[in-house]
Parts: sequence; structure tokens; C-alpha cells
Amino acid sequence: MNAEEIQAIFFAECEESLAAAEAGLAACKAGTHDADTVNAVFRGVHSIKGGAGAFGYVALQAFTHTFETLLSDVRDETVAITEPLVDLLLRALDTLSDHVAAARGLGETPDDAALQAELTAAMAANAGAAPAAAPAAAAAPEPQPTATSSASDDDDFGIDFDSMMDSIAGELTGGDAASDDDKPVSKGWVLKVRPHTGAMRNGSEPLLMLREVLELGGRCVECDVGQVPPLDTLDPVTGYLGWTFVFPDDVSEASVRDVFDFVGDDCGLSFGEDAPMADVRLPAPATPASAPAAPAAAPIASTSTSAPAPTEAAPAPSGGAAPPAPPAPPVPGQSIRIELGKLDKLIDAVGELVIAQAMMAQRLAGDGLAVTEELAMLEGLTRDIQESAMAIRAQPIGSVFSRVPRILRELTASTGKHVRLDVSGESTELDKTVIERLGEPLTHLIRNAVDHGIESAEERLAAGKSAEGTLTLSAEHRSGRILIRIADDGRGINRERVLQKAIEKGLVAPDAQLSKEEIDLLIFAPGFSTAQQISNISGRGVGMDVVRQNVKDLGGRITIESEPGSGTTFTLTLPLTLAISDGMVVNVGDQTLVVPLANVVESLRPAPNEVQGLGSRRAMINVRGRFIPVVPLHEAVGALGAVEKAQDGVLIVVETEGAGRAALLVDAICDQRQVVIKSLDTHYRSVEGVAGATILGDGRVALIVDVDGLVSRSLSGMSLAEAA
Amino acid sequence: MSNNTRILTVDDSPSMRALLNHALTSQGFDVSQAEDGIAALDWLALNEVDVVITDINMPRLDGFGLIERLREGSRHRDRPILVLTTESSEEKKARAREAGATGWIVKPFDPQKLVAAVRRVAH
Repeated sequence: MNAEEIQAIFFAECEESLAAAEAGLAACKAGTHDADTVNAVFRGVHSIKGGAGAFGYVALQAFTHTFETLLSDVRDETVAITEPLVDLLLRALDTLSDHVAAARGLGETPDDAALQAELTAAMAANAGAAPAAAPAAAAAPEPQPTATSSASDDDDFGIDFDSMMDSIAGELTGGDAASDDDKPVSKGWVLKVRPHTGAMRNGSEPLLMLREVLELGGRCVECDVGQVPPLDTLDPVTGYLGWTFVFPDDVSEASVRDVFDFVGDDCGLSFGEDAPMADVRLPAPATPASAPAAPAAAPIASTSTSAPAPTEAAPAPSGGAAPPAPPAPPVPGQSIRIELGKLDKLIDAVGELVIAQAMMAQRLAGDGLAVTEELAMLEGLTRDIQESAMAIRAQPIGSVFSRVPRILRELTASTGKHVRLDVSGESTELDKTVIERLGEPLTHLIRNAVDHGIESAEERLAAGKSAEGTLTLSAEHRSGRILIRIADDGRGINRERVLQKAIEKGLVAPDAQLSKEEIDLLIFAPGFSTAQQISNISGRGVGMDVVRQNVKDLGGRITIESEPGSGTTFTLTLPLTLAISDGMVVNVGDQTLVVPLANVVESLRPAPNEVQGLGSRRAMINVRGRFIPVVPLHEAVGALGAVEKAQDGVLIVVETEGAGRAALLVDAICDQRQVVIKSLDTHYRSVEGVAGATILGDGRVALIVDVDGLVSRSLSGMSLAEAA
Repeated sequence: MSNNTRILTVDDSPSMRALLNHALTSQGFDVSQAEDGIAALDWLALNEVDVVITDINMPRLDGFGLIERLREGSRHRDRPILVLTTESSEEKKARAREAGATGWIVKPFDPQKLVAAVRRVAH
């Protein structure tokens, strides 16, 4: 793995961290600022900072540092969460996002001086109330008496530490050169080391430190064995030994101290020939009454063979000074990262498995073995596998929604319109591919809603509305599809102007009589723009037709409901997945077709008196008191030799988005099974009324009916025929 | 000495894991990765390791929690464990030491520094 690949991982991670922080701040803004939420924000920024430092993005690192420091104050509750603060944090997040983009080479490094000052001011404002770092450090439980020069607090970037390490590296080579016997021992300086019991806990090994001291160029001139007790009282984990080393002058004290950095004052260090060797710390009495240790510590301490027990009690008095461990952040479930390509391969294979299973079922049925228990088991398993595979690709739509607040903030900045955002159904899951391709059309619709839909504050007040506009985003599952609504409470579509514009542009004939809905749909026509002046926000009129195309490419549709004066709602209807769905296999004359189960409400065999003729060609069926138009499928697809009369065939009642319910007339229902959708567009071309094709169990290809399209076309065709 | 020192790196950040992996494998260490404390415990249940390097702030089980769990049993009581920290104040060091860490590595680290820290604690 090279540096660039690691960098790519870092940037992918930045996106995730930004999204997590954004979600957390949005929750704060909505009033949820518990420890978990704040910690999630902190962790997002913190993680970016870590990588920024590692990759040398100085500006990004500096900014995240300031940002993180303030967040850490917020997390520690030394800075209170107020609305202005959350707004400040949100702005900081936007700038952070720009910083990340700049680091990626996707833009200019933002000028953050003013914002940095603001962030710092937010900290300073509370510094007097709760003096945070310095006094706490002073109160740290184990002050090292001689540690003044070297153990200075490294700054957070670890630059001092770096230089220290450099000096070690230098000393190491210097030490090698100086380690020969030609150096007079009397020259140089003296260190006396006595590792205490604590230097052996936590997996530390004093021997390694002594070795490192030797490597640095120190020479052991004396080992103090005077404190070793008689064998019967010797405690094997007490440090009775002390060593005196002599270093050449060119070895710095700091580099030697650094060797013992990890053990702190668990290792007694005395510098200078006259300094006394640290005393032996004898083990604490078996049951230290003074130590307010946890009750569990007592029995352990009494079994004297347990090594860490006595020291476990030692740091206990300082426990009060140390902040408690941060609460575990919300658990989003254990996860692993998988390359998308591998997943797609799996999905493909599952698709083939579904087909193979169907083919086998067909073959067995042909041999009279349809009711085989093992076959039913296999079918159940295949379905489980398919659902699990699909679930792997499913992601909550929240990842798309979470970008919206930023879009709105930018729009507020550029248009001056204040918009409140209502979001619901963020946890609705749908296929990753769909999610990925949803961002662009959604962004465009939102910009459009704010730019064209929502009025300026003055206009709104004049119309008796609140000055702040409202944008509502929602997502929900509806009969195997997902419905996404983008609603604003703005002025609605000005149909008069839309129509006028469309006529001007030659999109419709001047004398055309269009319904309200048809006029609304004109805004999706290529090259249409009603903005009186082209704004730099929702583009130059090339957007809405692209939006519709994007949605169509996803196998979805987009509809508009608009009420002048009270707002516009765009509804996107999208499939949950692009690969496999449940279908009803039907026979129509000489053709076999598949009706998506998502559309099917029920199927019935009508009695002759339930079907009523309407004119010469049209029929309605009375389903429990409700009249539903009958659509003969054979007419729509041009099948030959099909059942003509409803009472001779089977009616499948389907639900459509555009035309309500309809009853499809077919000859017979053969089967209900999973079908792997193969796009016609890629293999042939797009055909109206056909959603795609699939391979049946016997290897034949069957068309999948686009119920919505077919029914509305068929019904409107009928009404024209009737009118004629 | 350390050509087959086995190291487990625990960090929820993939890029940090990648950096650690890169720096350590290039020095001949045997590196495995876990994405948080729980994953590390799972991995350690089945594998042997010489040194553990863990981040502190992680979901599910943080670094201090991981150390606590490891120190509870005899198997990892004396295992060298280094924590990755962004601060090197005495307060933080005392905290890490109290939590049972053998030592620390200050982020951002340079590879040399990292390797030196590992060698300092590797038995």
C-alpha cells in the first residue's frame, strides 16, 4: 500500500467523519446534546485531525486543532451548548469541509482566521469560569521533582517530541561511536536509576530501559545491591537494585529521561554525582487501610503473589483528579469495509442463483416432483440469501439527507431566505447505488425549492406567512418502493407563466389545452427556465430535465403537486433495489409476462355479472362496491389468441401511482417468483410499458410489465377512443 | 531482534491503521489490525501478539476499556500496550499509565518515533 492509497482512505474517512459530525450537530441544534451526541461530533473532528497531522496538511490540522479544542471544552461541559454556539460549530464544520476539499486539491484553502478567532473566543469566554488544563496538570498526582527542563508539556502537535526523537537518533549514533573504552569514565555526568515496583507493572520491563541506556552510550559503573533483603523476606516484584551510569557529555539529559518517559516516577532517577540514589519503595502492607481502593482490591492484595496488586492501590488517591473515561459513544454496530466490486459480484451471483433455483424447480415440476421438501427448503434459503445480500447494500437515506443542512445554509447566505428544515424517515433504507445517485437530483430539487419556491421574507409576511420558509424532506417505504418527498411552503408553481414560457419556447402549441398537472410537468422539459433572472443557484434551466432523467435512470418517477400560494411538493418514487424483485408470471395469449408483485393488490376470477361494459370497448369491474377499469393486457402488448372476455380469464388488481387501481386481464397466472431484472435499455432499447426483462425457469425471456406506464397509457388511450 | 515481533494495531480510523501498518511492516514487524476494542478482544482470543498499539477514543470499547479488559486476565497482564494519543501532557500520561498502558505514542507520529516506542517495550 503506498502513500496515495492511504491518503485516499483518509479522505474517504474524512467524508464519513464530516457526515457524522454534521449529524451530531444537527441533533444538537434540534435540542439533543447528550454526551454521546457531543462525543460523536468530537470524534469526527478528532479523527480528521489525526490524519491531517500524519499527512502534513498544516492548514487543515491547525483548524481542526482549534475546532477540536473547543469541542473538547463542550464535551467536558466547561463550555455550555447554546444556540449561537451550535451555529458557530456548524459554520466551523462547513469551513472544515472546505479545508478537507482543499487538502484534496478540490478548491482553495479557506481563509479561516476570523473563524479561528471566534472559536478561540468561545473557549476563552469560559476559561475564567473553569480553568481547565494548566491547574489540572499542576494537580497531577505524580509530579517529578527534577522534571523541569525536559518533561515540559509537549504541544499537541508533538513537535517537541519529534525533535526529542531526532536528538535520540543523533545520540544513538553518537553513542555508538563513544561506547568504546577509550572514553575516560571520570568524564561525563552521572545518572542513578532505581526502578520501583511500578516500573514493572503494565507490561513494562526495566531491563529494556537499562539496555537502551547502554545503547545511548551510558556505562554502568555501579550496581547497588545493598538493599536486597534476606531471601525469606524478599519480595520478587520489589525493585531492590539501583544502578549508577556515567554518560559522556555529548549525551543529553533529555534523551536519557526520554527512555524512562513511559514509567514516570515509578522509576527513581537522580542526576548528578552528589544526588542520592532514590530509596527502595518497600511493598505496601498487605491490606492498605488508607487506600480507598475498590473492595475487590483487598482480597487480591492479600494474596501476596499477585504482582500488580500493591501498585493497583497506589494511584487510587489520584483517581479523583483524573476525569472519568469518556462514555462509550453510540454503537452503530460492528462493521467491516468491503470493496464495492466484491459486493456487486456477490449480488450478481445471487441473481444467477435465483435463476438456477427457478430452473431446477421447473425441471423437477416437469418430472412430477414439484412437492419436494428439499426444493422448498432450497427456495427458502435462496430467498434468505437474496434478502441478506440486498441488506448488505442497503443504507439509510440519512446519509443523503444529512448533506441538506449545509446546502440550506449556503442558500441562506446567498439568497437571504431563511429556511427551516423538517426531516423525517432518515432511517429508511435503500440500495447503495440508488442512494449514491440520489444526491444530485435531490440537491437540485432543494435548491430549486428555495430559489424559486420559497418567497423572500417580505413577500411571505405580506402573504400572511411566517418570515421563515419551511422545507420538508421525508422518506418512507410504500409497497416495495420508496417515496421521497421534498415539500416547500412557498408560492407554488405559477402555471400562467410556465405555460406562457413554454409557448414562447415552442414547447407546446399556443392553443394547446393543458391540464394543471400537464403544465406542472412542463418544468421538466429540456431547456425550460422560468427564473426571471438567471440565478447562480438553481442553474440555467438545464437542471429539472436532468433531475427527471436521473430519477428515471434509477427506475423511479417524479411527480409534482403544487398549490399556488401554499407550496409545491415533489415526490420521487424509487425502487428499493435495482437487481431483483418479486413478480407474478402470467400468460397472455402466446406471451408470458411478469407483473411486479409490488403493484399487485389481489387477483380474482370475476363472475359474469361483476363486469360491466362501458361503451363498446371499455369494461369496469365491481370489486366490493368499487368500480375499477379493466385493462386487457393482450391489447397493450399485442398478444395473439388471448382471452378477450374478463369472465373467461383472471383479473389482477394493481395499484398505480398515476392512475389509481386497475384490473389487468390475463389468461392465467402461472407462478409467483423472484425475478432477476435485466435492463432492456442495455440489451435492446427502452420500450414504453416495459420495465425490463427476465429469464424464466425454462430459460425463456419474459418481459416485465411497467404497470404504471402501461395502465396510464392504456386508460388515456381509451378515453381518447371514447371521445372520438 | 524484532524481525518477527507481532503487533496488533487497534484504531477505528482506517487511515490511521493503514499508516501504522505501513510504518511497522516496512520495519519488518508482523502487523494485524482491529477496528475497535471489541474487535481487538475477538482477535486476541484466537491469536498471539507481542505488542498491542491502541487508539483511545473508539466506538463500542475504547482503548482504556480494552486495556482494562486485557489486564484483568493473566494472559495479557504483562503484555506491552502502547496507546495512541494526541496529547503528551503529564496529565494524559499519568492517565494512560493509570489505565494500564505501558507507554504512548503521540499522534501524529513519524515512523522512526513509532518504531522506537515499540522497540522500547518489546520483550
